[in-house]
Amino acid sequence: MIIRFLQRHREASVALIIVFLFAILGLVDRSYLSFDTVLLVYGNSLILFVLAIGATMVMATHGLDVSVGSIMGLAAVVAGLLMNAGWGIPAAIGVALLVGLVCGLFNGALVSLLNVSAIVATLGTLGLYRGLVHLLSGGAWIEGLPENFKALTKAGSLGLSPVAWLVLVLLIVAHLGLRYTAFGRSMFAVGDNREGARLIGIRVNEVQIAAYGLNGLLSALAGVIFASQIGFIPNTAGTGMEMRAIASSVLGGVSLLGGTGTVLGAALGAYFMTSIDSILVLLRLEAYWNDIIAGAILLVVLITDGKIREAVDRHLRYQKYRKFIDPQAAGQHADAAKAAARPLKTTLETSEARK
Amino acid sequence: MAGTSPTDQRAPLVEARQIWKFFGSIAVLRGVDLTLRPGEVHALLGGNGAGKSTLMKMIAGLHSLDRGELLVCGEDASAMTPVTARQAGIHLVPQEPMLFPSLSVEENVLMHVPGNRKELRARLETMIGEIGAGMTLSTQAGQLEVADQQMVEILRGLIRDARILILDEPTSALTPREVGKLFARIRALTAQGVGIFFISHKLGEIREIADIVSILRDGQVVLAGPPKSFTDAEIVAAMTHVEGREDFTLGHAAVAPAERGAERLRVEGLAGEGFADVTFSLHSGEILGLAGVVGSGRTELAETIYGIRPAARGRVFVEGKPLSGHGPRDSLDAGVVYLPEDRQVSGLFVNAPLVWNASALVLHRGRQWLPLAKERADFSEQIKLLGIVCGSSDQPVRTLSGGNQQKVLLAKCLAAGPRVLILDEPTRGVDVAVRADIYRLIDRLAAEGLAILLISSDHEEVERLSHRVLVMNHGYPGGMLEGSDITINAIARLSFGVGANLDAAQ
Amino acid sequence: MRLHPALKRWESVLALLLVAEILLFGAINPVFLQPSMLLYATSDFIHIGITALALTLVIITGGIDLSLGSVMGLSAITLGILWVDGVNIWVAALAALAVGTLSGVFNAVAIHLSKVNPLVITLGTGFLYGGAALVLSGLAGATGYEGISNFDPAFVNLANLQVVGLPLPFALFLALTVGFMALLHRTRFGRYVYLIGQNPRAAAYAGTPVFRTLVVAYALTSLMAALSGLILASYFGSARSDFGTTALMPAITAVVLGGTSIYGGSGTILGTALAALLVGYLQTGLQLVGVSSHVSSALSGGLLVIVVALRSLSEMGRVWFQHRRVLRNVAAE
Repeated sequence: MIIRFLQRHREASVALIIVFLFAILGLVDRSYLSFDTVLLVYGNSLILFVLAIGATMVMATHGLDVSVGSIMGLAAVVAGLLMNAGWGIPAAIGVALLVGLVCGLFNGALVSLLNVSAIVATLGTLGLYRGLVHLLSGGAWIEGLPENFKALTKAGSLGLSPVAWLVLVLLIVAHLGLRYTAFGRSMFAVGDNREGARLIGIRVNEVQIAAYGLNGLLSALAGVIFASQIGFIPNTAGTGMEMRAIASSVLGGVSLLGGTGTVLGAALGAYFMTSIDSILVLLRLEAYWNDIIAGAILLVVLITDGKIREAVDRHLRYQKYRKFIDPQAAGQHADAAKAAARPLKTTLETSEARK
Repeated sequence: MAGTSPTDQRAPLVEARQIWKFFGSIAVLRGVDLTLRPGEVHALLGGNGAGKSTLMKMIAGLHSLDRGELLVCGEDASAMTPVTARQAGIHLVPQEPMLFPSLSVEENVLMHVPGNRKELRARLETMIGEIGAGMTLSTQAGQLEVADQQMVEILRGLIRDARILILDEPTSALTPREVGKLFARIRALTAQGVGIFFISHKLGEIREIADIVSILRDGQVVLAGPPKSFTDAEIVAAMTHVEGREDFTLGHAAVAPAERGAERLRVEGLAGEGFADVTFSLHSGEILGLAGVVGSGRTELAETIYGIRPAARGRVFVEGKPLSGHGPRDSLDAGVVYLPEDRQVSGLFVNAPLVWNASALVLHRGRQWLPLAKERADFSEQIKLLGIVCGSSDQPVRTLSGGNQQKVLLAKCLAAGPRVLILDEPTRGVDVAVRADIYRLIDRLAAEGLAILLISSDHEEVERLSHRVLVMNHGYPGGMLEGSDITINAIARLSFGVGANLDAAQ
Repeated sequence: MRLHPALKRWESVLALLLVAEILLFGAINPVFLQPSMLLYATSDFIHIGITALALTLVIITGGIDLSLGSVMGLSAITLGILWVDGVNIWVAALAALAVGTLSGVFNAVAIHLSKVNPLVITLGTGFLYGGAALVLSGLAGATGYEGISNFDPAFVNLANLQVVGLPLPFALFLALTVGFMALLHRTRFGRYVYLIGQNPRAAAYAGTPVFRTLVVAYALTSLMAALSGLILASYFGSARSDFGTTALMPAITAVVLGGTSIYGGSGTILGTALAALLVGYLQTGLQLVGVSSHVSSALSGGLLVIVVALRSLSEMGRVWFQHRRVLRNVAAE
């Protein structure tokens, strides 16, 4: 029963793992077990949260975008260059977001209109956008960002920075939007059964392109947050984030085969990925344990999930064929069928005989 | 239909004129004319591949038309897309459920329906109550049985206020009671002026509900008019007429060998996924027909013997040696070869060269290093033997016609040197000439001593080829026919059981 | 317009592109045309080619391996740790290859057990192996970018060794290309790889040993990744856990650019080998004419996008023209 519940609600299993992690932390040192720690991890997860929302949308449509790290870097560089050139902060951020949107729409067009497989298309743009980063920055780090820009991610009201509040709102809006709006549902419909979605009049291509576009926009936002958090922009900004974003979503129950998943699950996945990091620091363990723990837990969750699904399928198959497989159940049916067949045989014989 | 005034005066909802459609270079629709008027149920009849579903998908905007004219409510609709079709009030309930397997029943039905969620939900609940379907709104569609999935598709069509509703074989998985409820619903809709296309294979249903029937064969309308103006025999003849078929299917050609050969296959009390209590034996030189309607457990039985599906009880002996807990490889090594019913899905590697397909079952018998020259030489022999029409043995299978693809599949099976050959629908979707070739081949293989288990939905085929016929009925053996008892009539009665609609079966 | 069948093949297009590319860069900077330049430039990218050869098998089966970059790092670090612990360098190298092979076997077993998409599983094992490499290097106190160095000079010299006038890594690549061509195109295993990728269901009906084939394909990919890790360790004279992080995407690019369908079922080793050289020389050439290495990587990304988009467009065009021809023929009748 519990297993079925956890399988249906992957959010719950991830939440359970997170609680477990915090429990370990509490065992080691009770003083860490505070709301501050929860907030600390939240603050460290902002970028991954934003990326995970985008990944959820793209994966819902049975897509995949591995170029998000490069879009992040590109948006950060664009914002940084414009701010250093004297643009206002909102304008610079606006342009950066626009660049991200365009990058995402281009990915979407490749996948949807040109029928290029998602991984190949975004693999290409991964290199392309990263190259643009270097081209724009001239290979140098961008430093000396305005203090007001950095302040966006400094703790403010209730211990949360302005951006942290924004991300919280974004998470709620995205979660509800994907679940309850027609557009949100249509993304899942497209990913679950493309032909079926076409049949009921969903504009399949447009939905797909929009998902990639929004994902690009969110990646750009992640890039801006990144720049604000660390205060400068290296050329490698965002590298490798695509894998973390996908891993977060998958852990949170978003299927790469499309059609299932929630933003809440993906966000919990992202929170988990970050909490390992933060907790290692608190436990004064070396940070290099991070990936192996994340990988091991990801694999355990995936393999268990696969095994449970297999068991459920087997059970459904058994139910479907029970009257044939189960000798007890078979007995009555077989007798009934034989009883039905026998008189038929005789009527048949007589009718043949009459001829 | 009773209660409806003559509808011919009203402007037609759909008017199709001389519609043509090509898939690749094959013409699926060849100049079809069709009219649907408000308040009318227009039934479409025809065999597999006659073009009914293609025509309906075209009206729903899923396929574009290549030539001809399509008018919906008097306006040109030749460039229709699913989106504009929906705006024009057209809804298609497809034959194969096209649901979203990961989403709930409610989401599936209400997806993309405009309006207040709560009201729609309430309407859906009453509708489910009315139609008597026992399903909860929160169930995942992928976990429903096929019949329930079909019901969800129908609900989808009913909840949208469609002006033109297309039902593609809606009753194939429903119980008689559910069909009755559905028909009541259809009558209510037509009374409101909705036009309905209704595809079915069941003549009784068509006589009950349809105002007009059009019969399609090979992409053309061969007969059209009110159902009562035709007899059952006329309709069946129009539907199933195969030109040139008389040449080789007339009479009962299968003559049992004078004396039985050695026993090759014995099945004792076998039960598995979809069948139980099956016992029979198959001898060298014998063709045993396995008949029954689709879903009667024939294919499941064959796949269990071959080792693709697990057996629950019972035993299988090949030439006296038991075969159990086996996989396809063990069966192949024991000499049991299975020709699957769906050649594109389970039989062939359609993008691979012909010669790769032909050798796929014997690769494991050779050495690690592939004997490419021998492989090619063996296949050229088979090309001659089976009369496969192809350019080169390196061309991909998909470039061949259906009939030649089927011959390649036969070549693959024969290359394995079978002692027992299980043929599942060996002539599905092939033309007359190839059908004749395959019949001759089967006769010859049996004469050479091969033991053949022949599964077919085509009763004429079973009658023509088999020495004995085992008829399956709902997963259980319905009876064994031998010698002169093997008639199309007898097979049909045994496979439909008591009270079956014999009109449709004949 | 009838082309010779051999010229219609994608490999011929790639070969022509490769020649054109070399001539173009040579025209801009004649240094590029010097044989020693052409040969030794390969050392910068040949590890990607070697891994891509084996990855071709995995992708043809309809799978993918995202963990190969991590395996490169893991193999290099294994070598380093054992060497630091005083193990003979050749024994350590063998152990590193064994660790690589085992990680590939684990990939295949995990995919088989869970029946989950290979993309997801190898994403997870990628974290696992990469994490293992980080932990090993961390435990050995080799964090940071220096890694483990001071290897046996005989090992470090390997990368600069010449075999019949070719640098050893390049010679190895050529030999492996021939080996993998034979494996994929001439053996039963290779045939199974294609059949499984084309139609897994029909493969199961034909009694194909699916699991065994997948184990070998994934193990070979990880083995080649491990070998690449060793080549890099020898070439740089040090072992780092992050060796492979930048190799994954170029390796997939080489396979896809080489004509292998990402959906499985088709592709050739020769195509992958040519594409690996094409992309590698593009980077080298651009650097030689003064473009930064990072911008050149953008151009290879752009090349991938353009090529796959063009291939897709030409396929759409082909279908459209065929349809038009059919309609015209009917109209003529």
